[in-house]
Amino acid sequence: MELLKASDLVKRFGNTNAVKGINFHIEEGRCVSLLGPNGAGKTTTLKMLSGLLEPTSGSIDFKGEKAKDLRQFIGYLPQYPAFYNWMSGKEFLVFAGQLAKLNRKEAEKRSEELLERVGLTNAQKRKIGGYSGGMKQRLGLAQALIHRPKLLILDEPVSALDPLGRREVLDMMREIKEETTILFSTHVLHDAEEISDDILIMHAGEIAISGSLGSVMEEYRQPILQIEFESQAADWLKSIASYSFVSEVNIQGNKTSIVLKDMVNGKQILLKDIVDRNLPIRKFEISQTTLEDLFMKVVKA
Amino acid sequence: MIQWIVLYRKEMTEMARNYKILWIPIVFILLGVMQPVSSYYMPEILDNFGGLPEGTILDMPTPTGEEVLMQVISNYGMLGVLILVLSAMGVVSAERQSGVAGMVMIKPVPYSSYILSKWAGLLTITLISLFIGYVASWYYTSLLIETVAFERIFQSVVIYSIWLVFVVTLTLFFSTIMKGNGSVAFVTIFVVFAISTVTSILGKYMTWSPAKMTEHTGQVLLSGELDSSFLLAFITTIAIIIVVLISSIQIFKQKELLE
Repeated sequence: MELLKASDLVKRFGNTNAVKGINFHIEEGRCVSLLGPNGAGKTTTLKMLSGLLEPTSGSIDFKGEKAKDLRQFIGYLPQYPAFYNWMSGKEFLVFAGQLAKLNRKEAEKRSEELLERVGLTNAQKRKIGGYSGGMKQRLGLAQALIHRPKLLILDEPVSALDPLGRREVLDMMREIKEETTILFSTHVLHDAEEISDDILIMHAGEIAISGSLGSVMEEYRQPILQIEFESQAADWLKSIASYSFVSEVNIQGNKTSIVLKDMVNGKQILLKDIVDRNLPIRKFEISQTTLEDLFMKVVKA
Repeated sequence: MIQWIVLYRKEMTEMARNYKILWIPIVFILLGVMQPVSSYYMPEILDNFGGLPEGTILDMPTPTGEEVLMQVISNYGMLGVLILVLSAMGVVSAERQSGVAGMVMIKPVPYSSYILSKWAGLLTITLISLFIGYVASWYYTSLLIETVAFERIFQSVVIYSIWLVFVVTLTLFFSTIMKGNGSVAFVTIFVVFAISTVTSILGKYMTWSPAKMTEHTGQVLLSGELDSSFLLAFITTIAIIIVVLISSIQIFKQKELLE
């Protein structure tokens, strides 16, 4: 079922168009990732959906009805969650719960549940001012979930975390995914690939690609050849661009990925070349383009 | 409504935890008590520190209790206003700057509840400070100089509180529309003193001005009677407060939170 639909959403700040008329919808129960480089308009889009920012034009429908104030149904974790540092973790959760129209008892109960869940039970009585970045992120996640929102919106939930914190938050998201719909933005493509069902790629205020992760990957997947050299082989790599079956060569240090139109013949010819020229290779691998390649292609286009 | 109470309770807890609820009333008490004490001991103070030539005859009339309390009011008008504005300048702007205002507003909280809870918090601390400070001043005045009728005290403090409420409402307004705490304080104080100065210079044409509250306070203290122009000033002041509050709410709605 369609949970949320955005139609022709536009946001203008002065003369710049941050979001230029985007259309998309989110199915209930899915985990959707919103990808895009910095400045693509991800945060602006998320803020409009959460009701923090009025769209310049366009509409947002929630469960098939034109939305007025969605905040009751949405849990939002901003990129840099801020708290009252003089409150303790539990106090803040109870406060947030009461603001979301829970009564005091419910808010207390729910806070305890969530503190347990995000692993802050031992720190619940400490002042938030003394929390680490990872703890604040987890507290932010807890406050977003306090009123059992229909849609959980997370803005770059893992970008600012160390590998351990990132893993913790991702695992939590995987659990939460079972209960509610999630929309999260990220530029860590690996995370998107790992947990999302659907993806939206934004670039320069527009949606470039959308669809389920599987179908997008299927559609844009290309066979590539990855070659790793022991030393640089720039001359040869330049020369192969003239082969008709090579469509793209990306060089990153000693590693090269080559997009081929004809894998069967192409790999033979290239391999033969390497042998003839006695090039020092470490790895010669046939694989598929990843989300990252797709992303780079969209962003550079 | 429930959210309003939650937010107001949060304001009060915050003021208790950062001791504002203690030190602002203490400042008002000190300002209030210093005046009768220094008036009473003025001849001794001059004698000890004045370095007056031998044989100077000091013949200072002791001020009446009403005059002392008017001095107290005038101290509140300067230092009291300064303290209140400085303590209230970040009321919205600091929360916007840190982003926590956004964290509150992503919950289904009406924009009016947020602003009005702030306003109620400021009113509470302002009125508590003014009343306690003024009562302390009255107590010391009656101890050292003479007793002023409680009725006059009560009336004057109520009238004066309208002026201070006007001042903190302005602070809230500027704190909503501007971001830097310093500029909030500067602009508020500038506006407040501009209103006071213009009112005292063009008094005849400014009978409606909120700053007239200070004069009416003095009037009530000295004569026990209200001037007929009080009603006009009262109505315009309340009207301005309401308009400023409504605009604060509307402007707050337009502001981008969580940048």
